[in-house]
Amino acid sequence: MKARRLAAAAMAGGAAAALTLILLRRRPRRLRYDRGLAALRLFVRGGIRYAGSAPRLFAAAGEKRQLLREDLALQTAEDVADTLGAMKGVMMKIGQMASYVDDGLSPAVRRTLARLQDSVPPMSPQLAAAVVAEELGAPPERAFARWDPRPIAAASIGQVHRAVTRNGRAVAVKVQYPGIAETITADLRNVALLRRMLRITAPAQDVDALLTELRDRIGEELDYRREAEDQRLLAAYYDGHPTIHIPAVVSQLSTRRVMTSELSGGARFAELAGWPQHERDLAAETIYRFVFRSLYEVQAFNGDPHPGNYLFHGGGRVTFLDFGLVKHFTQAELQPLLQMARTVCVEHDQEAFRRSLEDAGFLRPGAPLSTQAIVEHLAVFYDTIRERGPLTITGDYASSVVRRFFDVRSPVAEYISVPRSYVILQRINLGLFAVLGELCATGDWRAIAEEIWPFVQGPPSTPMGEAEAAWRARRQVIAA
Amino acid sequence: MTADLYAAATGLIERCAAAYVSGVPGDAADDGFFGPASVTWRVSTDLASPVAGLRSLLMQALHPLAMAGVDQHSGWRRDPVGRLAATSAYLATITFGERTAAAAAAARVRRIHDHVRGVDTVTGHRYAAGGPALLLWVHAALVQSSLAAGRAFGTPLSADDSDRYVAEMRVAAELVGVPRPLVPASVADLERYVASVRPELRCTPAAAESMGYLLDPPGLDEDVAGFWQDVRDAAIAVLPDWARAMYGYGTPQPPPLAPGRRTEIRQSLGVLDFLFLSEPGVLEARQRITLRMRAARSA
Repeated sequence: MKARRLAAAAMAGGAAAALTLILLRRRPRRLRYDRGLAALRLFVRGGIRYAGSAPRLFAAAGEKRQLLREDLALQTAEDVADTLGAMKGVMMKIGQMASYVDDGLSPAVRRTLARLQDSVPPMSPQLAAAVVAEELGAPPERAFARWDPRPIAAASIGQVHRAVTRNGRAVAVKVQYPGIAETITADLRNVALLRRMLRITAPAQDVDALLTELRDRIGEELDYRREAEDQRLLAAYYDGHPTIHIPAVVSQLSTRRVMTSELSGGARFAELAGWPQHERDLAAETIYRFVFRSLYEVQAFNGDPHPGNYLFHGGGRVTFLDFGLVKHFTQAELQPLLQMARTVCVEHDQEAFRRSLEDAGFLRPGAPLSTQAIVEHLAVFYDTIRERGPLTITGDYASSVVRRFFDVRSPVAEYISVPRSYVILQRINLGLFAVLGELCATGDWRAIAEEIWPFVQGPPSTPMGEAEAAWRARRQVIAA
Repeated sequence: MTADLYAAATGLIERCAAAYVSGVPGDAADDGFFGPASVTWRVSTDLASPVAGLRSLLMQALHPLAMAGVDQHSGWRRDPVGRLAATSAYLATITFGERTAAAAAAARVRRIHDHVRGVDTVTGHRYAAGGPALLLWVHAALVQSSLAAGRAFGTPLSADDSDRYVAEMRVAAELVGVPRPLVPASVADLERYVASVRPELRCTPAAAESMGYLLDPPGLDEDVAGFWQDVRDAAIAVLPDWARAMYGYGTPQPPPLAPGRRTEIRQSLGVLDFLFLSEPGVLEARQRITLRMRAARSA
């Protein structure tokens, strides 16, 4: 288990790093002798370089998804197979995961991956219509009252069309490439080849875990019904919420390869740059509440929280899109996280904090380190919630969180690891703090956290908190 | 094996990618000698191309005089990857380039061939690379290999399209100096021609040595080496039985590839293609070709 320190890198980013190496053909010779170390080095190097520009790059990634080359549209299932078959779809999927799963990628690798992902052409109108017909039992013009044959966005292994249902609802319809599930499933079965790709960077003992992670993640995305289920769950929970909006799923028009949900307008993340700071702060507060309410009350975390998946309406109202990568937590998994926050932020009991880190598997028990050093090392993750009072989250703060995550030079780092079920939470660093940093958002994050922490259940601390409390009270009345 | 006489095969993908990009024009003034509606363009963009390339080298090397020409004259040992990249660049230019570019590239090759002549130490025969006999063999090996590799691992052509491909490719042979009437114009012609040459073929020491290098190139990037093994297995699998036997494989006959193996090889070819695509300019060159083929299809 000497490489547990690599766990964060290996689990979340190992697949990415493997691809990275394959893509950029860095120094295979060195890897042969010391693969684990070299992978770590690469990862750290990339992480540090990335950290400086994280928020900006991040915003750009969301916008690029809009790029569609219609002139290259895939016209037949054979075109799909040529473009995404024979492992290419799997590699692009790894690349896509890498582009937001893991911040250890250098900008150059990120660009290469983005370029290849964006190079997947959309389906021609006829091909997309054929998929809809197969899935819904009628061609799109009959399944819907109105159907826009031109896709408005690329989606996970598919594309999004605008339509109006027969009872007049404006909807977004996600359509999967035909045959893609079959070809990717077949490609994922070639364990030897996937191993070969992963082994290049990951230490041997982690390859199987990585492979499982990779197959699980991709497998989940191939069936839109799973995403629909998660979206329904969150939409139901947030129904009537004053600022959080989850588009409703139209179940009758959703299948394995087609997913229909209510169409949302709103401003894109990039447009927020021109909004007054007050508005940006409100949007940030909503995103913050969404992330932690979902985590602690729905026990769910959207693993794909990048800015391209937010639409902004003003007054702090935000629509959240794309639930293809939702991770569900058990109470047993959440308890240690709460325990950690409680001991370090509320009780200020450093020894208890240390014990809860050990219980959760973040810190090796009996590590020869002073508790003080451990607290100092991890404090950055709690900086926004240690004390009450307004605090501005800057891009620098977001970068320092990312940098600390990858800081392996600290004597503490050797004894820290991230258990597998928590790996996805590192995306909070990217999806939440990078976004809040980009917004340069000010808020009393501690007071908001206290509202949400189940062990405090603090009173509303902002107008939005008041509105949320009223919404919660209504929910309880309905539930009772 | 005297592999240490050879330079290491580093940068195979990078250099072949650069060669490919150099052969595909940005804004073509004409459609070249084949054009976007040709079967040849389709074959050249097939996933199985690396298998076709390796198989044709294996076939070409079995002609003692062709092999002697390469062995005695080209810088193959000093810079094998450079030699392969030059061939890739030539093929891309002939296939996708404008007529003037293709003709110029062919003229260059003819000039080089003028100096490639000598005596083969194995057979004692004189050879001249510019002579139609050797050029025709090299041509036929390439055409036959593309068909065989595509059939097994790529998108197989219909019988009509296979004939069309053989007929289209006659111009490639003409460009390097083979009189048109000598060049096979159909699959049946091609097979007859290959059968007629077969008695002259053998695996000379030079062929064994250089093909040994090619099948297991030292210095290949470690991450590419695994994929190259699959290309090698695929190329050997689609050789004619007699050719495979000349190289010492398949006595007794090796079992045919299991169906699952075909899928695996295609997956490896996909990874290689992905690596190729991630090299600078390749994606853009591929897109230009696709767009022109599309336009021709809908015209």
